[in-house]
Amino acid sequence: MTIDDLKAYGADTAEGLRRCMNNESFYLRLVKMIPGDPNFQKLYDALDVGDLGIAFEGAHALKGSTGNLSLTPIFAPVSEITELLRARTQTDYAALITQIRQGRDELAHICEG
Amino acid sequence: MQEREMDFRPSIDKRCILIIEDEFINQEILRMFLSDSYDLVLAGTGTEALDVICTRYETLSLILLDLNLPDIGGLDILRQVKADSRTARLPVIVMTSDADAEVECLTLGAIDFIPKPYPQQKVVLARVLRTIELSEDRDTLRWTERDQLTGLYNKEFFNRYAAQLDIHHRDFPTDAIVLNVNHFHMINDRYGRSFGDEVLRRIAEKLLEIVEETGGIVGRNMADIFWIYCPHRTDYAAILDEVSNALNGDGQSENRIRLRMGVYSDVDKELDIERRFDRAKLAADSVKGSVTKVIGLYDSSMYEAELLSEQLIEDFPAAIRERQFQVYYQPKFDVRPSEPILSSAEALVRWLHPTLGMVSPGVFIDLFEQNGLISTLDQYVWSEVAAQIRCWKERFGVTLPVSVNVSRVDLYDPELVGKLQDIVTRNGLTSRELLLEITESAYTEDAAQIIEKVTQLRDLGFQIEMDDFGSGYSSLNMLTTLPIDALKLDMQFIRNAFRERKDTRLLEVMILLAESFELPTIAEGVETAEQLFTLKMMGCAIVQGYYFSRPLPPEEFESFMSQKRNLPPSAEAKGKKISRDRFTYDALHDSLTGLYNNSAFEILFHDADHDHIAVLIANIDDYANMKKNRGRVYVNDMVCRVADVLRSSFRSVDHICRLREEEFVVIMTRVTSSQKEMVFSKIESVNHTLREETEDLGPITLSVGIAFSDREHPNGDVFQDADSALRRMREIRQTGYAVY
Repeated sequence: MTIDDLKAYGADTAEGLRRCMNNESFYLRLVKMIPGDPNFQKLYDALDVGDLGIAFEGAHALKGSTGNLSLTPIFAPVSEITELLRARTQTDYAALITQIRQGRDELAHICEG
Repeated sequence: MQEREMDFRPSIDKRCILIIEDEFINQEILRMFLSDSYDLVLAGTGTEALDVICTRYETLSLILLDLNLPDIGGLDILRQVKADSRTARLPVIVMTSDADAEVECLTLGAIDFIPKPYPQQKVVLARVLRTIELSEDRDTLRWTERDQLTGLYNKEFFNRYAAQLDIHHRDFPTDAIVLNVNHFHMINDRYGRSFGDEVLRRIAEKLLEIVEETGGIVGRNMADIFWIYCPHRTDYAAILDEVSNALNGDGQSENRIRLRMGVYSDVDKELDIERRFDRAKLAADSVKGSVTKVIGLYDSSMYEAELLSEQLIEDFPAAIRERQFQVYYQPKFDVRPSEPILSSAEALVRWLHPTLGMVSPGVFIDLFEQNGLISTLDQYVWSEVAAQIRCWKERFGVTLPVSVNVSRVDLYDPELVGKLQDIVTRNGLTSRELLLEITESAYTEDAAQIIEKVTQLRDLGFQIEMDDFGSGYSSLNMLTTLPIDALKLDMQFIRNAFRERKDTRLLEVMILLAESFELPTIAEGVETAEQLFTLKMMGCAIVQGYYFSRPLPPEEFESFMSQKRNLPPSAEAKGKKISRDRFTYDALHDSLTGLYNNSAFEILFHDADHDHIAVLIANIDDYANMKKNRGRVYVNDMVCRVADVLRSSFRSVDHICRLREEEFVVIMTRVTSSQKEMVFSKIESVNHTLREETEDLGPITLSVGIAFSDREHPNGDVFQDADSALRRMREIRQTGYAVY
């Protein structure tokens, strides 16, 4: 995985790197941890059973870590869903979850490559 | 090791930050940001975080707090940190992406925010650094602005905050209130320092509570003086009650801690803060010593007194320069011999003010003591007095020691000893001629230092008289430890003893006590013959007061002295000789024997402790016949011999009187019937001596009736019962002695 891969993926690598004091390997090491973050599963499962509180916790945690790494493809839908969940909005979350899943899976793919 | 020692400086110690964050990635980024500059402790859960805070709060400099934690909410942690007085000072920066949470966090005591996603490292570092610095500055300020014991503002900061209140509430009527604990140092002495400290803490706590309700600030000015600056109110008594109840409970305990309050209400804001509180203090001092009045309000009379004080302070330098202060001399008499002897004098200062006329020392001494001018005045007096003693020495060839005051502040003057010695030497005197009076209260203040200074003075030959003994908190203990040569009883103390209901018991005990430490007592303020006589009876050595003379200017004192010491009288004093003390002496003494007469007996018998005396009435046997056969001269010689033998046989505490021609009475003090053998043996020894013939006189015998105050079945008073014992013996024509 290279910075260019992440750039192509849609991450704001300039900002993410700056936050990691331009330490590339450190940045990449943290990014690699994202696909395995158990908060994805926590979010999905909670929404399946309609527990918006737990779902919020998962989303909020993901928002924090993906935000700090500027992984925009995940951060953008996670931010959106976090605010909805914070307000415990009863709505159909499927579309947003799909976006999040795609973002995660794609990142996992890049990480494995 | 060496490295550690080099680092032992607070400024370069690495500060420790607690990061409360459950997300690994966030933890890692923060660690990267901060680990070069700070020691970091990480807590991934709320429980872990509280544990760290609880055990390491003293070494933590900052908490970085994430609001969303898996167990305890970040807000709860913030709440707990701020609620615990040990940890409340810890600054907390909240890390959140939620702008809505910010207000709540600030309300709970968070000091700043770091948004998520995190800003650049330098932004985070700058915020962390600034927060730590601010918080440490605030802590330092807190330590410096507060009195450590009570947590109240100290004097300097109280003044600053009061000034701030003035700026924001310029036209708002405001009160300056002073609260004082009566005899606080006694509380410390009696119950110990830690109890005293607790009293101060409780007062502080209560006062804070009170101003919390109505606004205002509280400070501890010094020792037991509290300052309150608050919006004008009228419920001063309620404040005092509340504080008093907090100390004593509602009950009327015997050992209540008593407070007094001074109020300068609706202050003049043109005056500086200190002056306003000076006025409140003045008001508080106006009720000092009063049991019924505990709150003093500053009023116009105090204002006038203040104006006068200001004028006196202003005029003081000129007064010294122009020699407006005049020294008066009040004679002191040694009353131990049968006729009082002028033994010394006390120097008393008067101020002949150019516009105010004669100003009494009562007006200016306290004032000058407060502001330290007294030192200059004292030195002026010492010099004047020394020159005067020298002048009298040269003109009359006599040395009359004069006592001068040494004020409390003088004792802190490192050059005091040198100054006094210089004055004495310059006038060709010895140190014994300038007596030094040091007030009792000076000794209670800083005993060790005072004792050292006084010891130095005594080593140089100066005689030290402890002034005003009995006026303050005379600790009897002081008598054993203090380097003094005489004890001067406070004038008020003597006046109280001789009030309408004369009660001299305490006076007598004090004189006896001083005597047992071989300290002569000096009584001042003695005005009547009766006072003089009683004091003399009790063993008082030196007496001073209007009875002998008022304080006199030097010229008048000279003529007084010339009469008393048989000096060549100055011209104007000739023909004015009035021997007042001679008159009294005659009035109380039998002219033939020098024993006390009837009048003296009346006083002595009245004043005696009627539980512990014996009265002995002694008649010379066969007196009438001898008078008829041998004549008046013979019996007079006989009476004189009896007087001499009685005088030498009884103790100094016994009073021997001649009531009639052949009748004597001895009032033996401090005896009970358990000591009757001692009494009998005295009588037997008297009769034994008298039976021996002398060149001019034949044998003499006495018949003696005795009664003890603790006799069984008393019939009359102890004198009457002694008399009836004597009469009964006479009736059965017995001689010797008989006990009632």
